[in-house]
Amino acid sequence: MEFGVCSDKSKAFIRLDPRSKLLLLMAISIIMIGGTTVGIEGVLRIICAAIPCLLLLSIRQYKAATIYLLLLGTALFCEKQVAPYTHGMCNIILMMICGLITRFVAGYMMGWYTVKSTSVSEFITAMEHMHCPSFISIPISVMFRYFPTLSEEYKSINDAKRMRELGHPLKQPLTYVEYILVPLMMSTVRIADELSAASLSKGLSAGGKRTHICEIGIGPIDIVAIIGSITMFVLFLVY
Amino acid sequence: MEKKFEIKDLITVGVFSALYFVVMFAVACFGFIPILMVFTPLLCPLVAGIPLMLYFSKIKHFGMITITGTLIGIIMFVIGHPYPILLFCIGAGLLTEVILKMGNYQSIKHCVAGSAVFSLWFLGMVIAFFFSFREAYFASIVDGYGQEYVEAMKSYTPTWVFFAMIIMCLVGGTIGGLLGAKVLKKHFRKAGMA
Repeated sequence: MEFGVCSDKSKAFIRLDPRSKLLLLMAISIIMIGGTTVGIEGVLRIICAAIPCLLLLSIRQYKAATIYLLLLGTALFCEKQVAPYTHGMCNIILMMICGLITRFVAGYMMGWYTVKSTSVSEFITAMEHMHCPSFISIPISVMFRYFPTLSEEYKSINDAKRMRELGHPLKQPLTYVEYILVPLMMSTVRIADELSAASLSKGLSAGGKRTHICEIGIGPIDIVAIIGSITMFVLFLVY
Repeated sequence: MEKKFEIKDLITVGVFSALYFVVMFAVACFGFIPILMVFTPLLCPLVAGIPLMLYFSKIKHFGMITITGTLIGIIMFVIGHPYPILLFCIGAGLLTEVILKMGNYQSIKHCVAGSAVFSLWFLGMVIAFFFSFREAYFASIVDGYGQEYVEAMKSYTPTWVFFAMIIMCLVGGTIGGLLGAKVLKKHFRKAGMA
């Protein structure tokens, strides 16, 4: 998530409301993971696979969009053209990897787009508009704010650990887990303290109604997205 | 102890849920290899129990672990797991809450028991393989993953495995809790962080 008050408007061609992003995310994940590839569900899958690509392009993430298309294309090609010629364990492993990619990558990319294009402030505003209680919306936004930090911390810890040649993940799995987890937990405790100090200075605990600078609202594109995802849900459940 | 529920607590919930979720997810990735999938209910709580124990040591108020359960349920649901996961997550959260409350949020024994009970939410993730969900689920993945994968999965998951998984969750959670308690004692008590 961006740390600024509002996500950068000038960069995006399409601006979606966080609520419609969440709805789209749910529709895409459910259809991609649960659906079959034949008939009407096959058509739905193609639409669902195309949406994240378009949205990624709309926020100028050309690299991510290309990687996404390449991954999906390779996996589909392997699934349809290569896998039928293999048997036994080889077939299981190949189908599994391809199946995983075709099923999860669209939802993952959509999730990445949602996180990338929504600022914390916009997200909290949207949650308030949905009358989501603060004991759900605050932990969720902290969680999503913390995921990227977690991966950064992990990278640094891993570097420090490798520099000292400690705990190879395969040779000494227990040491590996301990040497990664303990520093991660330490930094988690520290970051939790820092964030609560920050929230104190922002007056989150003061109570009363909070106001928002950033504008969110349901525009024409959002209506299209919402109607689209509901139609997809209905089609998916009926057929 | 009897202070009000604060924003600080909500932030603790968010940060530790994120850590727990990531550790859980990292270990669960091994589960896509068919035979290992049967053992994920043992492995995941075992590793994730370590951060969970640190989280338990930070809990001072009623409701925090239920929120964690609910959050995990919501995220799992949004990324495409079937609806029973919500019930499992919230249920496991509530049960854990009660256990921790009995220990007044301080007893280590209750924390270990809580870690075992909380890992039961994991059953919501594997329930698709069992009972009335079984046939529909396998039918839906047959053309995505291929017949051979489905056959392999089917042979690994007869109904009794579900009950074995309950036990695996509890055992994994207990061992994870004990490991966590040990790690806390070794690294965090000295530093005054737990």
